[in-house]
Amino acid sequence: MTADLAAPTRPPPLRHPPARRRRRRLWPRLTHFAGFAGPGVLVYVCFVLAPIVVSVGYSLTNYNPFNPPTKYVGLRNYRLLFTDTEFLTSLRVTTILTLIVVIVPNVLGLGIALMLDRRGWLYNALRSVFFIPVVLSSVVVSVIWTRLLDNDGLLNQTLRGLGVDNPPGWLSDPKYALYSVGAILSWQMLGLCVVVYLAGLQGVPAELHEAAAIDGAGPILRFRMVTWPLLAPALTINTVVLLISGFKVFDHIQVITHGGPGTGTTATIAFNVLQTGFVANRRGYASAMAVLMLVIIAVVSGIALKLLQRREVEL
Amino acid sequence: MNRILALGAVALAAATGLTACSTKDTSQGSGAKEITFLTFETPNLTPQYWDAAIKRVTDKYPDIKVKKLVSPDQDRTTYAKQLLTSGQFPDVMIAVSPAGFAEAGNLYAWGPAELTDFEFPSNGAIKGKVYQLPANTQTIPVVYYNKSLFSQASLSGPPKTYAELLDDAAKLKARNITPFVVGGGHDALGPTFAGILATDVYAKNPNWMHDRRDGKVKFADPDFQKAAGKLADLAAKGYINKRDLSRDYAATQQAFLDGKGAMYAMGNWFAAAADSPQTKPKFDIGQFNWPADDGSMVVPAFTGGGLLVSATAKNLDAAKKFALAFQLDKGNLDNSTKSDGLFPAIKGYTPPADTGAAFKAGYELFHQAVAAHAVVPAFGFEAGDDGMLPGVVEKWVSAAADLITGKPVAQVCRSLDTEWDKAS
Repeated sequence: MTADLAAPTRPPPLRHPPARRRRRRLWPRLTHFAGFAGPGVLVYVCFVLAPIVVSVGYSLTNYNPFNPPTKYVGLRNYRLLFTDTEFLTSLRVTTILTLIVVIVPNVLGLGIALMLDRRGWLYNALRSVFFIPVVLSSVVVSVIWTRLLDNDGLLNQTLRGLGVDNPPGWLSDPKYALYSVGAILSWQMLGLCVVVYLAGLQGVPAELHEAAAIDGAGPILRFRMVTWPLLAPALTINTVVLLISGFKVFDHIQVITHGGPGTGTTATIAFNVLQTGFVANRRGYASAMAVLMLVIIAVVSGIALKLLQRREVEL
Repeated sequence: MNRILALGAVALAAATGLTACSTKDTSQGSGAKEITFLTFETPNLTPQYWDAAIKRVTDKYPDIKVKKLVSPDQDRTTYAKQLLTSGQFPDVMIAVSPAGFAEAGNLYAWGPAELTDFEFPSNGAIKGKVYQLPANTQTIPVVYYNKSLFSQASLSGPPKTYAELLDDAAKLKARNITPFVVGGGHDALGPTFAGILATDVYAKNPNWMHDRRDGKVKFADPDFQKAAGKLADLAAKGYINKRDLSRDYAATQQAFLDGKGAMYAMGNWFAAAADSPQTKPKFDIGQFNWPADDGSMVVPAFTGGGLLVSATAKNLDAAKKFALAFQLDKGNLDNSTKSDGLFPAIKGYTPPADTGAAFKAGYELFHQAVAAHAVVPAFGFEAGDDGMLPGVVEKWVSAAADLITGKPVAQVCRSLDTEWDKAS
């Protein structure tokens, strides 16, 4: 018995050698992974990554399909961008538009979300009403607002009816056109902010408000000390989404102002890319603009994300 | 389970691959050759207009099957470029600027034998070759005026000199009538600027654009600056309302038809709307040529605007046959005079007797100009070697808007030279 116990124990014989067994375990996992991720990765590579790589390639050339041959020009296109007044104007226009689009819907969206954070059919209906512009096509929104804001549109007709002899040219005066477009974009994005803030508000525990109220905090102090810090994730989402949307604006400009009135007063970078690439045929140069736009969006969004995430608190 | 998933993924990939690789040839079976045809729509050129015009040709040639494409907006040239880039270049296109496409070898060059029926067979040539059928002539602009509003301002008839035009505009404005109806964009604003440039630039130097290509003249030169200054002056005096720049082409035409302004400098295609029972306004419409300083007759016109054929069309012969038949069909030509006010530049063609009064008056004005050798190119509407470099036309339109919104004239003209340099 003792001898039996002392005898070295031998592992049970393996059915297969270890390496082969590992391979058999790995293969099903790989196929499993590929089955789920493969189609998505394929689509991403084909329709996102490959065009970016191709654009970077074009941006290093003087590619103009109507004026061959295409030559490698190194970083010349990028150097030209920094002295191109048209591009610098579009950068300024895009920045102003992005600031409007980030600030206005965020502020108004928070205010409306606070008002709609109640129970009842009316509030549910109002939430849907505020969200409708988000799901509308930007072209449809642009056409509607063009009709409302042009010189003979509803707004100016109303102003004339109220005795304003010369109402502003909301879309035709360079002083107002950019801000009018900013207002239209803000109107369309407002619903998104409202919904995200509402979701954030509904995640704030009622006990925290009750505790703050017991401690004597009024509504403003409770908002500042309880609600606002806990809405940080919602603010992060809204800000980053609006930042990216603001920098990419193209369709509204194409339909409403076509970059005007006049030269470039509302021409965003995305609009400028299309005009340079498909009207002036300078595809290499337009690609450099597009690549720079991508870098700007990535850097600004990254910084905003980092800064805003620092504010976030965990319950 | 994993095997099922893996098999599913493989099947999906295979199906995607097979779908991508296969092409649907709808022309198979029926024996018909299919071609694609890029059109564009305006208040005059409705979907029904295009469908009927295509049908006239396909009735004659049942072996040709046409797939109609429609440009999403008036800028069909940019759309054609996008289609070319994405490998979907149409086989046949209409009224697309050939500049750029031709030089890159994308268009079929018509031979002299194919152009024998055209009155001006070499119009719009690029380096000696004709890529766009020179199908019709358009006078750009004719100034249409609202006789009722003119009467209200005690104006007995159209002005004969530029000074008279300014006087008339002042009288109209004093009566609270907007003197000029304009809009934004090439077709809604361009004709007004083209009128001024015809009398002040092209009348003095009909080769101005060729000279610009050769670097002999510039936009910043005194003649062009003077013309640009006239447009700026019309806006500064309130004869052109800068708030109207937000109007698109259709809204601009409607504004004139609704009596929202007294004068409308537009291509002669507006005659179709003035004559059509559906759109004809209650007031009478007169027309005159944009007046020169000294009252001499100058009529800006452009002959071209016809069909173009892709050099790489799959069924090139069918595409060529369709284009020529479309352009020379008597029914199509008659319809183009009635629906779009065009003057077909086809040998032996006479417009139908039942064309409207506005069309007839415009046709008469044009023939007077031809007899007086007073026809000059229409600035901003030229094509081929006679036109601006690709991309500059859009800057020219923006420059016109800049002038109206008050940008300094010299600065606007200099910026056009800069844009020209960039494009060259």
